[in-house]
Amino acid sequence: MPFSSYLNGKRADCKALVESLSKHFRYVSILGTDVSATVIRADRKSSAVQEGRGECGFVIKMHDGRSFFEYSLDDISGDKETLAARIAEAVRTDESLAGKMISTAALKDEPLSQDYARETDFSRYSDAQLLDICKELSGALLAKDEHVLNAICMIQPYTVSKLFITRNRELSQHYGWANGFLVAVYSDGKLVQARHVEGDDQLSRVIDGLKAHTDSVIDLAKHLTTATPIEPGIYDVITDSSITGLIAHEAFGHGVEMDQFVKDRALAKHFVGRYVASPIANMHDGAAAAHSVASYFFDDDGVLAHDTRIIRDGILEAGLSDLASAAQLGTEPTGNGRRDSYKRKAYARMTNTFFEPGSDKLEDMIASVKHGYMLFETNNGMEDPKNWQIQCTAEYGIEIVDGKLTDHYVSPVVMSGSVPELLKSISMVSDSFKVIGAGMCGKGYKEWVRVSDGGPNLKVRVKLG
Amino acid sequence: MIDITKLLENSKGLDGWRMTEKATASYELFFVHKQLETVRATDTVDTSVTVYVDHDGKKGDSTFAVFQSMTKADAEKKIATAAARARLVFNEPYALPDADTLNAELPTNMKDADPKTLGRRIADAVFAADTVEGGSINACEIFLYRDTLRVRNSRGVDKTQRLWRVMIEAIPTYTTEKESVELYEDHRFTFFDPAKVTAEIAARMREVRDRSLAVKPAPMTVNVLLRPLEIYLLLCDLADDLHYATVYSHANLHKVGDDLQEGGDGDKLTFSLKSVLAGCERSTYFDADGCALRDTCLVRDGVVADNFGSSRYGQYLGVKEPSGELPFCVSAAPGTLRKEEAEKEPYLECASLSGLQVDLYNDYIGGEIRLAYYFDGEKRIPVTGISMSARLSEVLAHLRLSDSVCLDGAYEGPDRLLMRGVSVL
Repeated sequence: MPFSSYLNGKRADCKALVESLSKHFRYVSILGTDVSATVIRADRKSSAVQEGRGECGFVIKMHDGRSFFEYSLDDISGDKETLAARIAEAVRTDESLAGKMISTAALKDEPLSQDYARETDFSRYSDAQLLDICKELSGALLAKDEHVLNAICMIQPYTVSKLFITRNRELSQHYGWANGFLVAVYSDGKLVQARHVEGDDQLSRVIDGLKAHTDSVIDLAKHLTTATPIEPGIYDVITDSSITGLIAHEAFGHGVEMDQFVKDRALAKHFVGRYVASPIANMHDGAAAAHSVASYFFDDDGVLAHDTRIIRDGILEAGLSDLASAAQLGTEPTGNGRRDSYKRKAYARMTNTFFEPGSDKLEDMIASVKHGYMLFETNNGMEDPKNWQIQCTAEYGIEIVDGKLTDHYVSPVVMSGSVPELLKSISMVSDSFKVIGAGMCGKGYKEWVRVSDGGPNLKVRVKLG
Repeated sequence: MIDITKLLENSKGLDGWRMTEKATASYELFFVHKQLETVRATDTVDTSVTVYVDHDGKKGDSTFAVFQSMTKADAEKKIATAAARARLVFNEPYALPDADTLNAELPTNMKDADPKTLGRRIADAVFAADTVEGGSINACEIFLYRDTLRVRNSRGVDKTQRLWRVMIEAIPTYTTEKESVELYEDHRFTFFDPAKVTAEIAARMREVRDRSLAVKPAPMTVNVLLRPLEIYLLLCDLADDLHYATVYSHANLHKVGDDLQEGGDGDKLTFSLKSVLAGCERSTYFDADGCALRDTCLVRDGVVADNFGSSRYGQYLGVKEPSGELPFCVSAAPGTLRKEEAEKEPYLECASLSGLQVDLYNDYIGGEIRLAYYFDGEKRIPVTGISMSARLSEVLAHLRLSDSVCLDGAYEGPDRLLMRGVSVL
């Protein structure tokens, strides 16, 4: 599918509105978004083919030489002088707050004109074909075992078109991503749900991945019915890529979002250039750092995608910034300015966040554990950038005894403790690497954006409950 | 904008439609420390249309978004695509809601306020709490929203409600020579009471000071007191399992008549979902289908009393009068626990959790505690750096509910819930 014809048709309107607003503000940018999503789903009793969460609208960012202003609207048609006056009035403050506005340096507006695109294979599949695949996979799961109460297969492709315009800059980007989910609701003395997730910008690979995992989903469900609570304690733990990503994301990623530096909300601000992790730990974030769900070409502030090395050999090297936080800190933005949608503010956000692979073999890592657990599948996590405490939940773990994985499953498993203690405990890093892009990340309890995370297997020592 | 309803009425092959429009105007202030970093305003409309097609003895539906930018040709194409998609879907038949109209406003005292003035007044109320020496509010975001929601369908439903709501996110922080600590706090309301906002944030300022003094206690098994937010989250998880759609898809753990507190010796749990709760931004007079809502008692005296959910899934389960898709406005009955009784033995009162984890399937409840007060029988000691975990079934069986009640956001009910014998590490 090509770049949004609607946004293409709005280029002139955007430029005219930038000119009109420039009479009120020193810097003006307009981000136009046209995002379409489709949800195809089948389970035992029902099915759906419909649009998912999309958006189409504009957000205007303005800077008056001191502070930031934004206005979100659905359409920019009509007389631009009138619209500009309406916008300027809408973002005006009560007089008593005017003296409290922050003061930052003027924003740069370096010339660049570029159109970016990454092709998908979405147009090769009709709605009917995708629904048939979902029905087939749901049916396959149901047929595998009489204990399967329900089986859900869902495929969610979405495409993004974004247009960014300032006086000196005109950028467009177009790309897509698709996720696929298999879920088995299974009961054999205990009711459990087992799932498998795929993500790629080619639907063919998502579908192949789902088809290849019907047996493993049922096998996992069977094991989860036997899972017991874990005995709380401190253990040697091997992480799968998903849990490695969860650690990267929750333990440290949120803590280096530099809008938190501005607010003195992140301890990491004081640790740049210092050891924060084991010397064998290396961590990155960036839309250009990996090919996954957050691999855009420019961010929602019009800053080109970066590959930011956050931790090099255990030392904190750099953080992630949006335009506003970089302006306040006097640094260069890193292409991490992201919005929940055109209706929401841009914040410094993660993109694809991961640890670099190392040189250890997974089997050697498992063999090195006398008694511990291998943890699998992210459930959720919560960050605490100020105080470096974490809480991450894995869907399940498998006990390791005398260097061997057993048949003893535990679920759920909550990993908690101090971030530096956890990162400094990394003692082995596998040579494998996987980034998983099916998740959404909030800032606090809102502002949801699509992110990926992952990396190799890690051996850590951590508190499990 | 084009008239979508006319296009829907004129489309062949449709057996019904529903259109939902939500217009939102907002005014937003973003403070860094006490300085204003960003001022935002929005003026947007979300419109979604669902079309229904009856075919082969089944019912298909498909939903699409309508954007302000769409031309008539765009909209006609979207309707045709949705109709074709609906014909691919073979769901059990159900009836759309019958004709009904409403034009109402949810109760508020902010309706006539100028957003810029109100924004400033809210900011003043927040920063009036910034009086603790060594403390500060390092960040504050204030969102003022005016929502107008309209739901129409092909059978004559036409309902509109207007809602004025505010969300404040504030980060109380306390800094000593040794360290700096913070707590996260958000407030959501439809009635603005400056004194209440100041008082709530001031209480949090005192707690964040306590966090700086907090110590990590030794592992213990202890009674744990939950506050309203966590009680609310626990009850929401129990309610989620009782949704018609969860039952229809065989994913529910509990069914009507199940005793959630079997063998227990604590207070019996009774709670309902309500459509409207005073001051709560989740309040609504109707659901996404435009159906009127029926307040529903889900658990009475510890036993599952009812399910809830949308008209469609209610019809699937044979419910005569489905509740409608109730918002998670939770009303719980008080218990018998008096403060003096709770203090007869040591307890841990959770003031701030990074999140309460409740897993019905795995019979688990727990969370990482950022600030709690350990009462050792004589004094309250602030503690941090710990996590708690327990079997959910045992917590439910033996829980105690306070006899004192509160109204806090989307929750009204006992202001404390006591969990016995929780493992704290």
